[in-house]
Amino acid sequence: MRDSILTARLGIPAVALVTEAFWPQGDFVANSTGMPDIPRVKLPHPIAGSGEDNMSKVATDVAPKIIQLLAS
Amino acid sequence: MFDAKSENDALENLHQMGCTDGLPVVVPTPDRVSRMVLATGLDSDLNLGVMGPMHGVATVEKVAVAAVMAGCTPDHAPVVVASVRAVCKPEFDLTEVQSTTHCTAPLVIVTGAARYSCGGVASGFGALGPGHRANASIGRALRLAMLNIGGARPGTSDMSLHGHPGKFTYCIAEDEENSPFPGLHTSFGYEADQSAVIITGAEAPHSTMFSGDADDPASIDCLLNVISMVMANPGSNNVHLRDGSFSIILNPDHAEIIKRAGLTREDTQSELTKRATISVGTLRKVGSKFSVRDDQNDDELIQVLREPSKIIVFQAGGSGLYSMVMPSWCAGPHKNAVVHAEIELDQACEIPAMTLQ
Repeated sequence: MRDSILTARLGIPAVALVTEAFWPQGDFVANSTGMPDIPRVKLPHPIAGSGEDNMSKVATDVAPKIIQLLAS
Repeated sequence: MFDAKSENDALENLHQMGCTDGLPVVVPTPDRVSRMVLATGLDSDLNLGVMGPMHGVATVEKVAVAAVMAGCTPDHAPVVVASVRAVCKPEFDLTEVQSTTHCTAPLVIVTGAARYSCGGVASGFGALGPGHRANASIGRALRLAMLNIGGARPGTSDMSLHGHPGKFTYCIAEDEENSPFPGLHTSFGYEADQSAVIITGAEAPHSTMFSGDADDPASIDCLLNVISMVMANPGSNNVHLRDGSFSIILNPDHAEIIKRAGLTREDTQSELTKRATISVGTLRKVGSKFSVRDDQNDDELIQVLREPSKIIVFQAGGSGLYSMVMPSWCAGPHKNAVVHAEIELDQACEIPAMTLQ
């Protein structure tokens, strides 16, 4: 979240990838840093260590959303 | 019993008398204590056990005083009563636990339906930390009972060199619904629909990091190895005195690895017992005088634990990289036994609305 906020503040389009379990924390960070609308995409949890096949599937699923947010 | 002009004066008196844990408490007025006694559903003079080293008799009323002081709600009362009953069992060696120079503190693990009906004892993110009223109050009530009924005063009768933060409160619930294992209480002879506290003297939690990989069949081995290596930490009493208990809290991700590998709780206990070893050479390097004989070779491996059932392993905490290992004191006549008591949910009474005064 903080990386995407810092990147966005530099004027570079950014999207935060946040897993389901950390989504409320993402909202908290977005609000507390004064960027409540920072674009973010929800990933299933856990993602780390869930295997290459699963991570490829998740990446395929969320890629269009990421591109859409970056382009908007 | 004393009179005070105000709530603040009463609180200052309690601090000065050494009756608190150093933090503000709820003043145990007769009305508040009566309500808490009522919540237990038990007679106020019922003896729950004797608490050393002062050998104070833990009546329901005195335990209710501790529960009020700790900030418990009436819902928490059955868990506090069960916790006091458990630590008063002779095999817990409460007098020795309270007097030792080691930092041991009773870790209260709440199992069964009481996790919900007794105020919502947390088992998820940060369950051992601040912000969970039931966990904080129940563990604190037990500590205040140990202070005021058991008479364990730091530096005079409680000789723990440093203490540890779990001596303020140390209470967590099992995340049974998401766990690969049956409820922890069933390992101690309870039926699945009963509730119980499982308690053992424990050090502070030692964080144990492991990042699994679902594609790597060695993940289960690596996970068991890292946990067993933390169990065999050459600074802990378990290595030097052996045969104490271990409390191991698996986070959901680590529990999932164990589930995928098809290991039961008993398999996990057995594997960890087998793997938690330390070499005689390492023990010599750290000057262990307790567990090494002159005729042993440096390469010889010593098992930290011989009885797998002394590992309490259960799921709690948030999803991520870290599980927790709590080593123990391992001393006293019963060598840090694990104790338990049923949480009796059918004794509770409806409590009349409280009059604020």
